[in-house]
Amino acid sequence: MSVSDVTTLPDPDAPFVEDRRGLLWLCEREVVRFLKLWMQTLIAPVMSSLLFIVVFGLALGDTIADVDGVPYKQFIVPGLVVQAILTAAYSNNSSTVFQARSDRFINDVLSSPLRWWEVNIGLAIGGVVRGLLTGILLLVLGVAITGVGVERPLVLIVATVLVLIAFAQLGVIAGIYANSWDFMAFVTSLVILPLSFLGGIFYSVDRLPGAWEVVSHVNPIFYLVQAFRIGFVGHGDVSTWLALLVLVALAAGLSAWCAWLFRTGHRLKP
Amino acid sequence: MRPALSVRGFTKTYDGGFTAVDGLDLDVPDGSFFGLLGPNGAGKTTLIGAVCNLVRPTAGEIEVFGHPHDARNARRLVGLAEQDINLDRFLTVSEVLIYHAGFFGMARRRAKGRAEELMDVFDLTSKAKVRPTALSGGMRRRLLLARALMHEPRLLILDEPTAGVDVELRSELWEYTRKLHAAGTTILLTTHYLEEAEALCEEIALIRGGRIIARDSADGLRARYGADDIAGVYLQAMSDAAGDDRGAAR
Ligand SMILES: Nc1ncnc2c1ncn2[C@@H]1O[C@H](COP(=O)(O)OP(=O)(O)O)[C@@H](O)[C@H]1O
Ligand SMILES: [Mg+2]
Repeated sequence: MSVSDVTTLPDPDAPFVEDRRGLLWLCEREVVRFLKLWMQTLIAPVMSSLLFIVVFGLALGDTIADVDGVPYKQFIVPGLVVQAILTAAYSNNSSTVFQARSDRFINDVLSSPLRWWEVNIGLAIGGVVRGLLTGILLLVLGVAITGVGVERPLVLIVATVLVLIAFAQLGVIAGIYANSWDFMAFVTSLVILPLSFLGGIFYSVDRLPGAWEVVSHVNPIFYLVQAFRIGFVGHGDVSTWLALLVLVALAAGLSAWCAWLFRTGHRLKP
Repeated sequence: MRPALSVRGFTKTYDGGFTAVDGLDLDVPDGSFFGLLGPNGAGKTTLIGAVCNLVRPTAGEIEVFGHPHDARNARRLVGLAEQDINLDRFLTVSEVLIYHAGFFGMARRRAKGRAEELMDVFDLTSKAKVRPTALSGGMRRRLLLARALMHEPRLLILDEPTAGVDVELRSELWEYTRKLHAAGTTILLTTHYLEEAEALCEEIALIRGGRIIARDSADGLRARYGADDIAGVYLQAMSDAAGDDRGAAR
């Protein structure tokens, strides 16, 4: 076969029709990307969260008093689940976007007929799906191991959706601003990880001395942990509405930022 | 007839304040084999980036077959093989081709069929399941070209496709591009190899310092500069332009 045998010329005035949405293809590519490495991208993070449940919850749990009437092994499950979800969404998207930028194969998408918001959604979806799968796996295992219940499923569902949106977008944003892999590792280990441990995964902030309690309340991840804890055990350190409101604000703000980046091409295109 | 590419007053000033292209006008006729010839840093890649929605123009208008360059209708008519190889390292060779077609809205069955055809044409069939990182340089170049052709572009843009490739691959690439042109594809080729422009291009624009300094058919240029070949044209035009620059500086 020769290249001229397989060349047909499109009519330049024919309307552009998609036989299968380009957006679907991009979403598929992003999901396939982490599924190909499912041991690293799903199983390993679930195992490490599970270790916390086993060590802190089961091994040490009996020596630690109940928190607000909740056995300690159950108390830590919601925070660990949300931490796993947000880390999965964030790290998936920051690395997929940064890799695409640094190898410049993101140009393949940017020069295609995909609209800016389709590129945004497509590049964000991998983190959403990965976070969701991580969350479901941990939820099932956490419930099975610790016997924690889901008292307010609706709150849990809404909070999950909002966390997925917020951190999927944050990952994309970080991938767009990053100049090196070091920067990405820096954000994960010096911002996301400390904030989530200080966000009350392992303790109730009521128990902290005054100043630290205040500090906790300016940490956005604190509210995510609270929202998840309300979803699981039915109550937390703040009201359901406040926790969800902070999540909505976070998801909306980060989505707006991300949309602006894709619409203007800022940092994506010189 | 409406040109494949029409550029009016295109200017690009990069973030640092450097103006790489300044008020550039260019028409590439439908069906032509068009060479954009100029030294490194002349602004060729910048111009191509703007045409392909990869560089934000500071000023000017760019149309592809009469459509604004950023319209979906324009995007799907253009195929681009960039100067630097940019292949998704997480995909296999056949996936690189299939997903690319997908971004252009192709159905799965057709994308698979077309990927098989192009892998056959470009001698990549045995590598279908291999990642691009495991390919030789020549195979990567061919894959880049195959990818640009997946969605059946009417305007194919090749940015220095032969820079740093060996003689054998170069003649292969010439063969492919000749056939594509014969089949009606408009080709915009940038190069700084003069013999390449001589061998392939019917129309040529010389670009230097972000401006077009001459543009004509290959024959027209040879006649205008009284040169035997494009190399002669190039050297004469570049030295004229350098003279103009010095004049302007004085
Ligand atoms: N992203 C960028 N930021 C700043 N300057 C750039 C950028 N890309 C290219 N340039 C500059 O613009 C000029 C034209 O570059 P380019 O279009 O790549 O030229 P060519 O492709 O003809 O070699 C060069 O001086 C180059 O250094
Ligand atoms: Mg270049």
